[in-house]
Amino acid sequence: MSKKLIVVSVVVMVFLILTSAFSAPVTNSVGKVLPIDAAPPEYQVLRVMSGPATTLDWFISVYKRTNEANNYFGEPLVRLNKNFELVPAAAKSWGVSKDGLTWTFNLDKNIYWTDGTPLTAEDFVFSFQLGADPKHGWDFTWFYSPIKNWDKVVKGELPPSEIGVKQGKDPYTLVITTEYPAPYLPMMMLYSTPLSKKAYEKYGPYYNNDPKTSVSCGPYVLQEWTKDKQIVFKINTKYGGRLKPYLEKIIVTFGDPGTSAFKAYLAGEIDICGYSNGQIFTPADLEVIEKDPELSKQFHQGFGDFRTFYLGFDCYNPPFNNLNVRKALAYAIDKEAIVKTIIRKQGMIAYGFLMPGFPGANPEGLKDIITYNPDQARKLLAEAGYPDGKGFPSLDMWVRSDLASPTVVAAANAIGAMLKKNLGIDVKITVKESKTFMDALNSHKLPFYLVSYGMDYLDQSNMLGIWVSTGRHAWKNDRYDKLVTEASSLIDKKKRDEMFKEAEKILVEDVGGIFLWHQTPGVLWKPYVKGSDLTPDKYGITALHWPGIEGVGTTIFNIYISKDVLKYRK
Amino acid sequence: MIGYIVRRILGLIIVILLASLITFILMHAIPGGPFDELKMPLPPEVKANILKKYGLDRPVWEQYIRYIWRALHGDLGVPFQSPTETVTSLIARVWPVTLQIGAITIALSFSIGILLGIISALRQNTWIDYLVTTIATLGTTVPNFVIAIWLILFFSVTLRWLPTGGWGEPKNLILPVISYFLAPTAVIARFVKVNFLEELRKDYVRTARAKGLPERVVIFKHVFKNVLIPVMTLLGPMIPDLATGSVFIEVTFRVPGLGRFFYTSALNRDYPMIIAMILLIAILWGITYLVTDIIYAYIDPRIVFS
Repeated sequence: MSKKLIVVSVVVMVFLILTSAFSAPVTNSVGKVLPIDAAPPEYQVLRVMSGPATTLDWFISVYKRTNEANNYFGEPLVRLNKNFELVPAAAKSWGVSKDGLTWTFNLDKNIYWTDGTPLTAEDFVFSFQLGADPKHGWDFTWFYSPIKNWDKVVKGELPPSEIGVKQGKDPYTLVITTEYPAPYLPMMMLYSTPLSKKAYEKYGPYYNNDPKTSVSCGPYVLQEWTKDKQIVFKINTKYGGRLKPYLEKIIVTFGDPGTSAFKAYLAGEIDICGYSNGQIFTPADLEVIEKDPELSKQFHQGFGDFRTFYLGFDCYNPPFNNLNVRKALAYAIDKEAIVKTIIRKQGMIAYGFLMPGFPGANPEGLKDIITYNPDQARKLLAEAGYPDGKGFPSLDMWVRSDLASPTVVAAANAIGAMLKKNLGIDVKITVKESKTFMDALNSHKLPFYLVSYGMDYLDQSNMLGIWVSTGRHAWKNDRYDKLVTEASSLIDKKKRDEMFKEAEKILVEDVGGIFLWHQTPGVLWKPYVKGSDLTPDKYGITALHWPGIEGVGTTIFNIYISKDVLKYRK
Repeated sequence: MIGYIVRRILGLIIVILLASLITFILMHAIPGGPFDELKMPLPPEVKANILKKYGLDRPVWEQYIRYIWRALHGDLGVPFQSPTETVTSLIARVWPVTLQIGAITIALSFSIGILLGIISALRQNTWIDYLVTTIATLGTTVPNFVIAIWLILFFSVTLRWLPTGGWGEPKNLILPVISYFLAPTAVIARFVKVNFLEELRKDYVRTARAKGLPERVVIFKHVFKNVLIPVMTLLGPMIPDLATGSVFIEVTFRVPGLGRFFYTSALNRDYPMIIAMILLIAILWGITYLVTDIIYAYIDPRIVFS
C-alpha cells in the first residue's frame, strides 16, 4: 500500500513539475513576460524598411535619420501613446511654475547608459546646447524657439551655455525656462532624446554609427550597421525605463520605401509597410490591396501626421495680392469631387488647416465659409478685373517632387481643369524637385503651388504657427499674427482655443491658402504583428498612429510577434 | 604609337578639367542648395554657419580653385549625404558592388549574345532565328526597370524563390543581372547575326569552302575572327556604361552601388559627390576609348596610328 502511494505520489509530482514547466510564462531578454499568443523570443524580430540614413540621433540631424525606426538609443523626457496622450519616459513627472515660464522635469534614477553612466540632466543640457550651437548648424533649430535665449544662441549672440535648459537642484532635475509661457512645452519634449555627453566627447558626433562606440540608455542597442544595407537593433538588456519592449530585434533594411517597400511586404520580407510620415500608397498599390481580401484586412488607416494638402500663393504680388482673386480660386475648386474620385480612401475633405482629431480642429465652424460655387467664383474674378479670366496670367502650379505621388499629381491636374472650366484660367502643372521648390517657397518667391504640411507636435501653435508672416508663406495678416503669437503663450486653455479658432477662421476667410484634403494614410502590417497600440484608440480607429514605431511613442514597447508568424516566415 | 597615346592622355586631362569646370559652374547655378529646409526656413545665421562649415560661403571661383588643389592632393572632399566618410572612401566602398554586377553582365551578355547571334545567323529563318529576334526585340524595347518589376513580381512575390532586393549573398545578384543583361545581350545578338551573315557572303568564305575546309574551321577560324572587330565597337561604350551602374536597377533591387549616387547626389545637391562622379565618368570614357583604339590597331592590321 505504502509502495503504491509512493509511486502515485512520484508520478503526480513529476506530472505537476512537467506541466508547470510547460505552462510557465515565457519571458524575453529583459524579463518581460510575453503574451500568451506570442511566438518564442527568437521570433520576436520586427523587419521594416527605411530610406538612407547617416545618423540615428535626433540632435545630430533630424532629416538624415532612418524613417521612424529611430530614437532607440536615448530616453526622451516623455512619450506619446496611441490616444495622443503624453506618458512619462525619462521624466517620471513634470510641472510648471505659476508664471508658466519654468518647467521642472524629475528624471527617473533607474536609467543608465550602457557604459554604466547614469542618465542625468547633464546629458539633456549637453544635447540641447549642441542643438543650439551655431557651429553645429543643426537642421531643426527653428523648432525650439520658445526656450529662453534659444534664438539668441542660434544667432551667435550668446554662448550655448545661456539657453534655458539647465540642471536643477540635483543631477536628476532638469529645468527648462521659456521666453514666454508655452503650455505645449511637454509635448515638444517628445523631441528630447538625449545624446550621451561622455560618448560624444570621447568618440565624436557619430558615436552611435558603430556598435563598438555606440552607447544607449534606450530600449535598444546597436548590433550592426552595414552601410546602405541594414541596421540591426538588439534589445538593451540593461534598459531601466518603465516600459519594456517585447521585441528582441528590429531589423531595418535600407531601400527606397516608395519603390521597394510594398513589393518587399508582399514577398514577406518586411512586416510593416507604409508610414505615417507623408508617404502613401499609389493608386495601383491600392487596387492590389483592395482586390486581395487578405491584404485588405492588413490595411489600416489613421491620422498619419495630421497632414493637410493645400494650394498656396504669393500674396505679396499680383494677381494673388487681390483677395477676390484668391477667393475666386477657392470657390472654383470642387474639393468633394477631388477627394471622392482621386484621393479616395487616403484622405478627407479639408475645410481648414487643422485636421479633425487634431487639438482645436474646427471643421464644422469652417465648412460653410467657402463652398464650391462656380458662379460666385466668376463674379469675384470679374470684380478683381478679370471677367471670364480675360487678362489673367496663365498659372504655373508647382508641386513638390517628394510629395508628387501619382495621386497628388492627378489632383493637381483636376484642379487645373476646374480653374480652366470655371474661371477660364490656364494652369500648367510642374513637378519641381524638392530643393528648388523649397528654395523658392522659403524665400517667398513662389507664385502658385501645391504642397502639404504635417505636424511636429500636437498643438495648434505648431500647425497654425507656420502661417505667421515670418514663416514659409508669402501671406500676411496682422490680426492672425497677433492671435497666433499671443495664443501660443497663453495658459488659459479655453481662451487659447478660442483665439486659435479665430485665427484659423481668418486664415480660411482671407484665403492664406486653399485647404484641399487631409491625408489619412494607410499602413499594412502582417497578421502576426500584434500589440495593444494596434487595437482601436479612443476614437475607435485601429491604426499605427504617429509616431509609429519611433522610440518616442509607446507602440514599439507593446508590439510583439504572435505564433501565427510560423505560418508566414520560413 | 607612344606619341599617340601621350597626346590622347594630354587631351583627356584637358577634357577632365573642362568637365570639372562646367560641372562646378552648373551645379552652383541651379536653384536650391545642399542645406535647404523641407519644413521651415532655418534662421539665416544658422544657414550661414552651415555654409561656412563646408566652405560654401566663398565665391564660386575660389571654391573651384580650392577644390582642384585639394583634388590634386587626392582629397575629393566629404559627401554631404554621408558625412562620416570621404568621397574617395564612399566610392571605394560602393563601386566594387557596381563593378561586380557590371562585370557579370558584360561577360554574360557577350557570351550569350555572340552565341545567339551565331546560331541565329547559321539557322536563319528557322524557329531559333525567330525566337532570338523576338528576344532581341523585347530586350531592346522593354526598359530594364520594367523587366526588373516583372522579375520581382514573378520570382519574389509569387514564387518567393528570390529576394526582392538587397546585397551580400549570391542570390541577390540573380535578378539585377537578368534585368541588366537582357538589353546588351539583345543588341549584341542582333549585331553579331547581321555581321555574321554579311561575312558569310564574302569571297574569302567561298574560297575557304571551295578549298574543302570543314565548315567548323570556316566559321570559327575565319568568319568569327572578322566578326569580332565590329563587336569591339560595342564593347567599348558598354564598359563605362555598365561600370557606373544603373540608378533604376540599383534603386529597384536595393543594390548599394554607385549608380544610385548619380541620382541622390544631384537630388541632395551633394556638390563633392556630383563633381567626383562626373570626373569618374569622364575618365572612364576617355580611357575606354583610348584602350579600344589601341586594341583595334592590334586586331586589324589595316589601322595605323600616325
